[in-house]
Amino acid sequence: MIYGAWICLLSPLAAAGLITLAGERISRRGAGYLATLSCFVAFGGAVATFVGLLGRDGEQRSIVSTAWTWISGGSYRSGFEVMIDPLSVFMMLIVSGVGALIVAYSIGYMDGDKEERRYFAYMALFVFSMLLLVQGGNLLLLLAGWGMVGLSSYLLIGFWHERPAAIAAAKKAFIMNAIGDATMALALFLLIKKAGSLEFGILGGEYSSTVATLVALGLLGGAVAKSAQLPLQTWLPDAMEGPTPVSALIHAATMVTAGVYLIVRTHAIFESAPHVADLAAGLGAGTLLVAGLVALVQVDIKRVIAYSTMSQIGYMFLGVGLGAYANGMFHLMTHAFFKALLFMAAGIVIHALANEQDIRKMGGLRQLMPRTYLAFLIGSLALVGIFPFAGFFSKDSILAAALDRGAYGYVLWVAGLAGTFLTGLYTFRLLFLVFWGEPSPFVREHFHALKSNAVGLSLAVPVAILAVLSVVGGWIQWAPLWHPIETWLQTAAEPTVSPENWQEWVTSALALLFGIGGMYFAWLFYGARERRSVPRFAFAQRVLEHKFYFDELYDALFYRPTVWIAKGLYRWVEDPLVDESSTSLGQDTRDLGRLVARAQTGLLRTYALAIASSVAVLAVVFVAVK
Amino acid sequence: MGPNTAWYLGVAGFLFGVGTLGVLIRRNPLIVLLSLEIMLNGANLALIAFARHLNNGDGQIFALTVMAVAASEVVVGLGLIVALNRKRVPLDVDRLSSLRG
Amino acid sequence: MTTVLIVLPLAAALVIWLLPLNDVSAGALALLAALAEVGVWIQLVVRYDFGQGGLQFGQQWNWFSDLHVSYHVGVYGFSVWLIGLTVVAMAAAIAYGFWAGRDRMRAYLGLMLFLTGAVVGVFTAQDLLLFYAFFEAMMIPLYVLVGVWGGPGRMAATLKFVLFTMAGSLLMLASIVVYGLSQNTFDLVQIGQSSSDWIFLGFIAAFAIKAPLFPLHGWLPDAYRESSPEVAAILSGVVSKAAAYGFLRIAIAKFPEPAQHYRAPILALAAIGLIYGSLLAFRAPDIRGVIAYSSLAQMGLITMGVFSVNDLGLDGSVLLMVNHGLVSTTLFLLAGMVERRTLTGELARLGGMARGRPALATVLLTTGVIALAVPLSSAFAGEFLILAGVFRHGWGWSVVGAVAIVLAAAYVLRLISAILHRDVGPAVSDAALDLRPAELGVVVPLVACLLALSAWPAAITQHSFRNDRGTDDVARGFK
Repeated sequence: MIYGAWICLLSPLAAAGLITLAGERISRRGAGYLATLSCFVAFGGAVATFVGLLGRDGEQRSIVSTAWTWISGGSYRSGFEVMIDPLSVFMMLIVSGVGALIVAYSIGYMDGDKEERRYFAYMALFVFSMLLLVQGGNLLLLLAGWGMVGLSSYLLIGFWHERPAAIAAAKKAFIMNAIGDATMALALFLLIKKAGSLEFGILGGEYSSTVATLVALGLLGGAVAKSAQLPLQTWLPDAMEGPTPVSALIHAATMVTAGVYLIVRTHAIFESAPHVADLAAGLGAGTLLVAGLVALVQVDIKRVIAYSTMSQIGYMFLGVGLGAYANGMFHLMTHAFFKALLFMAAGIVIHALANEQDIRKMGGLRQLMPRTYLAFLIGSLALVGIFPFAGFFSKDSILAAALDRGAYGYVLWVAGLAGTFLTGLYTFRLLFLVFWGEPSPFVREHFHALKSNAVGLSLAVPVAILAVLSVVGGWIQWAPLWHPIETWLQTAAEPTVSPENWQEWVTSALALLFGIGGMYFAWLFYGARERRSVPRFAFAQRVLEHKFYFDELYDALFYRPTVWIAKGLYRWVEDPLVDESSTSLGQDTRDLGRLVARAQTGLLRTYALAIASSVAVLAVVFVAVK
Repeated sequence: MGPNTAWYLGVAGFLFGVGTLGVLIRRNPLIVLLSLEIMLNGANLALIAFARHLNNGDGQIFALTVMAVAASEVVVGLGLIVALNRKRVPLDVDRLSSLRG
Repeated sequence: MTTVLIVLPLAAALVIWLLPLNDVSAGALALLAALAEVGVWIQLVVRYDFGQGGLQFGQQWNWFSDLHVSYHVGVYGFSVWLIGLTVVAMAAAIAYGFWAGRDRMRAYLGLMLFLTGAVVGVFTAQDLLLFYAFFEAMMIPLYVLVGVWGGPGRMAATLKFVLFTMAGSLLMLASIVVYGLSQNTFDLVQIGQSSSDWIFLGFIAAFAIKAPLFPLHGWLPDAYRESSPEVAAILSGVVSKAAAYGFLRIAIAKFPEPAQHYRAPILALAAIGLIYGSLLAFRAPDIRGVIAYSSLAQMGLITMGVFSVNDLGLDGSVLLMVNHGLVSTTLFLLAGMVERRTLTGELARLGGMARGRPALATVLLTTGVIALAVPLSSAFAGEFLILAGVFRHGWGWSVVGAVAIVLAAAYVLRLISAILHRDVGPAVSDAALDLRPAELGVVVPLVACLLALSAWPAAITQHSFRNDRGTDDVARGFK
C-alpha cells in the first residue's frame, strides 16, 4: 500500500525525466504514450493504496511514510514523506484518474504539434506536482507541491511561447500564485515559531486566536490564489491561452481545486479561526456570483467554461468554509468529471473548427457532431445540477449545509441559489449558441469531422468515459439517503455542519427550479425559434466585459507602481547616487594620482637630491631629538 | 697604533660626499655608477672603522655583504648601460626620463 | 588534505605559467588540475566525519612565532560545502574559458587556478593573518582577470572594483592587527571573543563591500558586466561567498555583542538590498544586469540568514550560499553562451531562442526556476529556512522576504521570456545554434548539482554544524 503511494507519486516524475533526457531519441507519439502510461500506473498505485486503506479500520487509516529528511534547521525538520489517509487517497484517485484520461486525450489533441515531447514532459511533471501536493506528508511538502503545480501551470499556459498573449498569461498566473505561495510561507513561518514543526498534526494544537487567525489567513491567501477566488481570480481566464487539455486538467479538474483541498486538509486551524472560515465561505459566495455574471457576456468558448470553473470552485469554498468538508470534496470530484468533460468536448469543437474559439462564429454544430453535442449536453446538465446528473447531488448538499449555519448561512444560501440560476443561464447560452440553430457560414467553411484513427479515438474515448462519469459519478452519495463519501472522509475531516433532511429536500427542489429557470431564459434568448432580443444594459455590459475592472485595478495598484518604483530607483538612486558616487570616486582617485605623479620628474638627479636631502633632514631631526 | 678612528671616518665622509656630488651632478650613467661605488666604499670604510673601534666583527661582515651587493649591482647597472648603448640611446641620465609622471 | 586542496591549484598555476605549453595543452592541464581538485574535495567529503563535526583536517605550522601567527588551516562542516562550491564552479569556469578560447590562455587559466587556491585558502584559513593573505590573494587575480580580459569598459570597472575592495581590505587589516595584538594571538580558533564595536565594524566593512550589501554595491554592475562571463560567474558565484563566510566565521562568531547590537541596522541594509536588488533586476536592460542585481538581492538574503543567528537562519544561509553560487555561476555562463551567439546581452534585442534550441531552453528554464526559488528547489529550501529564522526577530523581515520572493518570480520570468520566448529578436539569427556538447558538458553538471540539492537540501543543512546546532558553534566561536 505504501509502495502503491510512492509509485503513484513518482511514476509521472520518472516519465517527465525520461522524456526530457531522451530528447529526439523518442518519437513524439512515443512521448505521449509514455506520459499516458505513467499516469495510468499512478492511477493503479492510487487504487492499490485505496484498496489497502479500505482494509483498515477507521482510526488506522492515516499513515506517513518518510523517505528521507528533506530539510532541517536545528531541531526543526521536515521529511520527504507521503501521507496516506482517506483525504489524500480521495484526491490521488481523482488526480491520477482524470489526469490519465486527459493526458490520453492530449495524444489526439496535440497530434502534429512540433513540440509534443515538451508538452508531455510538462504534463507528466504537472501530474507529479499535483500528486505531491495531495500526498505531501507535511505542510512544507504541501507548499512544495503547491509551488510546483504553479510552475507546471506556468509552463503549460505558456506552452505556445511564440504567442505574446500566452506568455503574458503564463507570467500573470505564476506571479499571482507566487503571492499565494508567499502568504502561505508566512503562515508556515509563524507555525514554525509557535510549534517548531510543520507536521499536519500541529494544526490541531492550542494557539491564541490571533495566531490561529493569522495562520488561517495565510493559508487562505494561498488557497484563493491557487483556486482563482476573489480577489486573486484574474489569472484564470487568461490561462485559457494554453492548450485545451491543459485547461481541462489544470484549470478545471485538479490544480484550481487545490485550494479546497488545502482548507479541508488544514481544517483544524480554520476551525480555531472561525472568522477566517466564514471569510472563505464569503469569498466563495462572492466569486460564484461575480464569475457567473461575467460568464454571461464572454464570447470565447473556453473563457465561459473558465468562469464557470471559478464559480463552481466558489461553491466548494462555500461548502468547506462552512465546515461541510465532505460535501465540498464531493463537489470537487463531480466537478472534475463534468468540467473536464466540458473542456474536452469544447476542445473537440475547437479542433474541428480549425482552432476557432469565438462562439459568435459558431452555431449549428448539433447536426454536424451529434456525439460531441451529447457529451457537451451531459456536461452542461451536470454543471447546472439537473437530476440525475452528477452536479445535482454534490452542489445541492453544499447549499443545504449553508442552511445549518444561522443568519450568515442564509445569506450564503441565497447567493448560492442565485448562482444556480446564473449557471443555468450562461451554460445553456453557450450550448445554444454553439450547437443550436443553423450552421454559420464560418462553420460551413472550416468544419472538418474527426477521423476514426488513433487521433480520433484518443479524443473520443476519454470524453466518453467522462460523460458516463458525469452521469453516474453523483450517485455515489445522495445526502439524505446514503453518504459513503462523508463516511470515508470522516476520519480525515469531521464536518462541523450536518443539515437536516428537510433542508436537503428544500434546497434540492429550489436549486433545481432555479437551474431550470436559468436554462429557460437561455432558451428564450438564444435557443428558441423566435428568439427574444437580449436585453441591453450598456453600463452593466461594460462592467461585465471588463470583468469588474479587476485587471485594470491591479494594473494600477501593483504592476505600474512596481515599474515606477524600479524606474525611479534607477533614476534617482542607482544612477545618481550609487553609480555616480563610485564613478567619481574612481575619477577623483585618478586625478589625485595625476597630481602626485607630477613629483615624478623622471630625472635621476631629482630623485637622488630628494633622497639626500631627506637623509640630511632626518639626521638633523635625530640629532635634535637626541 | 695608526691614526685614530676619527681620521678614518673623515676619509669615509669625504668619499661619501664626493660620491654624492658625483651622483647629483654628472649626467653620464657610467660616471653615476662609479660615484655610487665611491659612496658605497665610503660607507664600507666607516663600517670597518667602527668595527675596529668597537672591537666587534659585525661591521666587517656587514661590509663584506655590502661589497657583494655592490658587485651584483654593478653587474646589473653595467648591463643596463651596455644595453642602452646598443640601442643607440644617448648615454645621458637627464634624457632618460620616460618615467616622468 | 586541506593543504593539498590549497596547494594543488597553486602548483598547477605555476606549472602552467612556467612551462612553454601551447594553448590546448595548457587548457587541458588546467582542466585536469581543476578536476583533480574536485576529486580531492570528494575525498574530503567522504573522509570528513560529519557526526563529530567541528574543525577537522587541521594543519598548523608556526609562521611568526613571537606574534603567535601560524599557518593554520582546517575544515568545518559548512566550509566543506563552500569549498565544494568553489572547486565545482571553478572547474566549470575553467572548462568554459578553455572552450571559449581566451587570449593568452596560459596566463588566463593560470590566474583562474591561482584564484581557486586562494578562495579555498580563504575558506580553510584558521589564522587571521593567513585569512587576510588569502583574501588578498583572491582579489589580485580578479583585478587582472577583469582588467585585462574584460569588455570595453574594463578599466573603469577594474578601478572601481580595486578601490572599493582595497578600502574594505585595509579596514579589515587594521581590525585584524588590533584584534590579534589585543588578544595576543592571531589564531582564529584560539582567539577569544571581543566586544569592540570598532574592530567589528572594520570586519563588517570589508565583508559588506565584498558581498556586496546595499549601498556598497557601486562596483558590482560594472564588474559583472565588463568581465568575461566565467569571471563574472566566479565573482558573483564564489567570491561573494567569501564575504558571507566572513560574516559567519568571524563577525558573528567572534563578536557576539556587537553583532547583536548592530543586528537591526545590518538586517535593515540586507532587507533594503533584497528589495532594491529585486526591483532593479526587474528593470535591468540586459541579461547580466538582471543576474547582477539579483545577486545583490540574494546576498542580502544570505546576510539576513547569518545575522538572524539561530539554527534555522544559519543552516538556511549556508544552503543558500551554495545554491546561489551554483545558480549564479550557471546563469552567467549561460549568459556568456547567449552573448556568444547573438553578440549582445540586451534583452530588447533577444527573444524566441527556445525555438529549435531545446537544450538551451531546458537548461536556462531549469536554472531560472531554481533561481526564482520555486518550492521544492534548493533555493526555496534555503530561503524558507532563512525567512523562518529571521521571523523570530520580527515578522516584518519575513514579510519583506516574502515580497522579494514574488519580485524574484517577476524578474526571473521576465529574463526567461525575454531570451527564450515571443518573437525572434533582431540579434538572434538562425546561425545561432543550440548549445554545443562542450557547453552542455560545462553547465549540465552544475544543473545536476542543483537538482540533487533540491532533492536533498538536508545534505547541507544537516551537515554544516555540530549536531545541526549552528547557534552552539557560533556561541563558542567555533572552538
